[in-house]
Amino acid sequence: MSLETVTTLPWVEKYRPKTLNDVVNQEEVITSLKNILKTKAVPHMLFAGPPGVGKTATAHAFARDLYGPNYIEDGWFVEINASDERGIQTIRDKVKMFARQIPMGGEVGFKILLLDESDQLTDDAQHAFRRVMEQYSSTCRFILAANYSNRIIEPIQSRCAVFRFRPLLKKDIIGRIKWIAEQEKLEVDDAALETIYEFCEGDMRRAINTLQAAASISRKIDEKTIYYILGYVSRGEIRKILELAMSGNFIQARDELRKLIYVQGLAGSDIVSAIYRELFYLDLSEEDKLELIDLLGEVDYRMAEGGTEEVQLMAFLARLAAKSKKVNVGR
Amino acid sequence: MPQLWTEKYRPKKVAEVVGNQDSVKAFLEWMKSWEIGNPAKKAALLYGPAGVGKTSLVLAYGREYGYDVVEVNASDWRNEEKMKAVVGESSQYASLDGYSKKIILVDEVDGIAGREDAGGISALRKIINETRVPIVMVANNPWDQKLAPIREQSVMIEFKRLSKTAITKRLKEICEREGIKVPDDVLSKLAERSEGDLRSAIMDLQAVAAGKNTLTEKDLEVLGERNRVKEIFEALRYIFYAKSIRGARAAIEGLELEPQAIYTWILDNAPTQITEPDELAQAFDLLARADIYFARIEKLQMWRLMKYAIPMMTGGVAVARRTPPKGFQKFTFPHKIRLFQQYKNEREIRQSIAWKIASKLHLSSYKAGKEMLPYIGFIISRSDKSKPRIVEYFEFTDEEVGYLKKIYGEVEEKKEEIKEVKVKKPVKHSRGKS
Repeated sequence: MSLETVTTLPWVEKYRPKTLNDVVNQEEVITSLKNILKTKAVPHMLFAGPPGVGKTATAHAFARDLYGPNYIEDGWFVEINASDERGIQTIRDKVKMFARQIPMGGEVGFKILLLDESDQLTDDAQHAFRRVMEQYSSTCRFILAANYSNRIIEPIQSRCAVFRFRPLLKKDIIGRIKWIAEQEKLEVDDAALETIYEFCEGDMRRAINTLQAAASISRKIDEKTIYYILGYVSRGEIRKILELAMSGNFIQARDELRKLIYVQGLAGSDIVSAIYRELFYLDLSEEDKLELIDLLGEVDYRMAEGGTEEVQLMAFLARLAAKSKKVNVGR
Repeated sequence: MPQLWTEKYRPKKVAEVVGNQDSVKAFLEWMKSWEIGNPAKKAALLYGPAGVGKTSLVLAYGREYGYDVVEVNASDWRNEEKMKAVVGESSQYASLDGYSKKIILVDEVDGIAGREDAGGISALRKIINETRVPIVMVANNPWDQKLAPIREQSVMIEFKRLSKTAITKRLKEICEREGIKVPDDVLSKLAERSEGDLRSAIMDLQAVAAGKNTLTEKDLEVLGERNRVKEIFEALRYIFYAKSIRGARAAIEGLELEPQAIYTWILDNAPTQITEPDELAQAFDLLARADIYFARIEKLQMWRLMKYAIPMMTGGVAVARRTPPKGFQKFTFPHKIRLFQQYKNEREIRQSIAWKIASKLHLSSYKAGKEMLPYIGFIISRSDKSKPRIVEYFEFTDEEVGYLKKIYGEVEEKKEEIKEVKVKKPVKHSRGKS
């Protein structure tokens, strides 16, 4: 059977909300945004909320509703990702370039710049950006998207209308996945839906990706298919590292850990979260697990304090190896 | 005040540079590529131990071939802005008066890497990309991870310790010019204690000989004992097998490496030298503590904390290692540095894929690499078309598709195995949560 239709477009793109009406479970935000659309008096806005709940999509949908379907091509809207553009100078240059001129023939007198992952900006950059917001506000309005609004400095927050995006509920995610499955003519059983929901941790992007990957192996999707994918694309690598350490192959575990950090470029905090998820299912006594959870928390904190990720994580793996040796001997 | 002989007798011409003739040749070739206006790399990184002529070569070249050498010392500037102001500016103009040519000399680049101002490195990187004049950087230890981007952009030219004969010969020339009579064996002693460092040999010579007409072996006794420079491998052996913290700490004195660089060597040799899991865990606990001190030193510029980091990292592994390893375990070059060379290509491919995904899907490249790349790799690998449309959508190259298939592609046996293992465990997960 050809599954070519599955592989034409990433579904996160294909099923991205196109208008404000398509956005799932953010009624309060959407209602306010629609009111703003009516008056066309757009303030600077801060969209805050967990990943994968639709912040970026809402910003795009808002711009489309405001400027029409060619909102990007006609030069009204631009998106900058703060996590890729570290220096304030780049941002300032880009903003200047973008905001300097207003396209002809529009009825809206300003452009919109979306600064995504804006909580990634350093404090210094944020202070500089605050000036930028003032300098260009007559020709350009800003939408800042962020996971944590408390990482945005107060002077910026006070210049923005702050919109809080809610975490998605179980019914939102399962409902959307079911709907996509119908569009794609897939059969997804309930256990599979549950598993997708549980794994995605409220992140719609992750849920949709899992569904599309599953659809690339079979049109009938059950729980087994989902676990297979999770093992392959996300949980497999961390589990392998933990198992290597536990079976006494510390050096191999270290080498794999380094590949995650330096070849794949994963952040230490993401590796810690993944280890945390796996920790509960390791073959260890409950007491040892508690001790390791405590140590992992210490690792997490130390990395935030500036400790080197690989070093702190290696210390964790070495401790895990020592714990499992005791278990092996005890048997 | 009399002039320092190290300055007075700095080579005036390239031909006067002592030793390291291959490195000199490599440098001349690189400058030649600038002269004809077509350098393959716009920067050169001269590296090696202290006092072997790295900076002197550049100064001599400038003097001989009519270049202004604009010197920037790493301790002069600490952050991106300063870097841009000092180096960036002058790299854009051939020279002030429009006549003479220019070389920018950035000394002690490894000094920037040690500090918190990573901005300095990235600024330097940008400046190299855009420079119109040759940029020469000098470092003792170029292998710091933070210097990786700069290494890639630079012609790497290694300088080695100078031979005893070469140093003796140079000392003799200086003595002749100063009108001092010195027996050859005395000069040879001076050369020997310098351990290949010509600058320190000249310093010593001036200290004992200035103002005299002759010099005897007895005059050398006033010289303080300079710490014996041990090779890193030797130092590692002392560290891991030390009987006391003091002994372990002493082993790194005299090494011409920063503590953070030595740390990498200790870190990566610990798992082979310490084989008992409990002892290794203890060693890593202490190494992790040392790492925290390094972080605090950088963050707060609290250099006095170094005295706590060093016993943690040296005494730490010595104290933790109680059981001798089975048989002799060789000390090795840090795995981390090998890993970087080995996977450089893979890292670049991955990054390029991540950027392409990011530009289509409104994500940062980091999120694209973490959240999307594995799924897309999985989907592409399972398509029965040789070139599924999703490949065109992202404009992946064949090499990129090949990489994704290699990493996320199907290995038949693996599939079954994974199904068995992975299905069982996480089932608990759902029970545990509800």
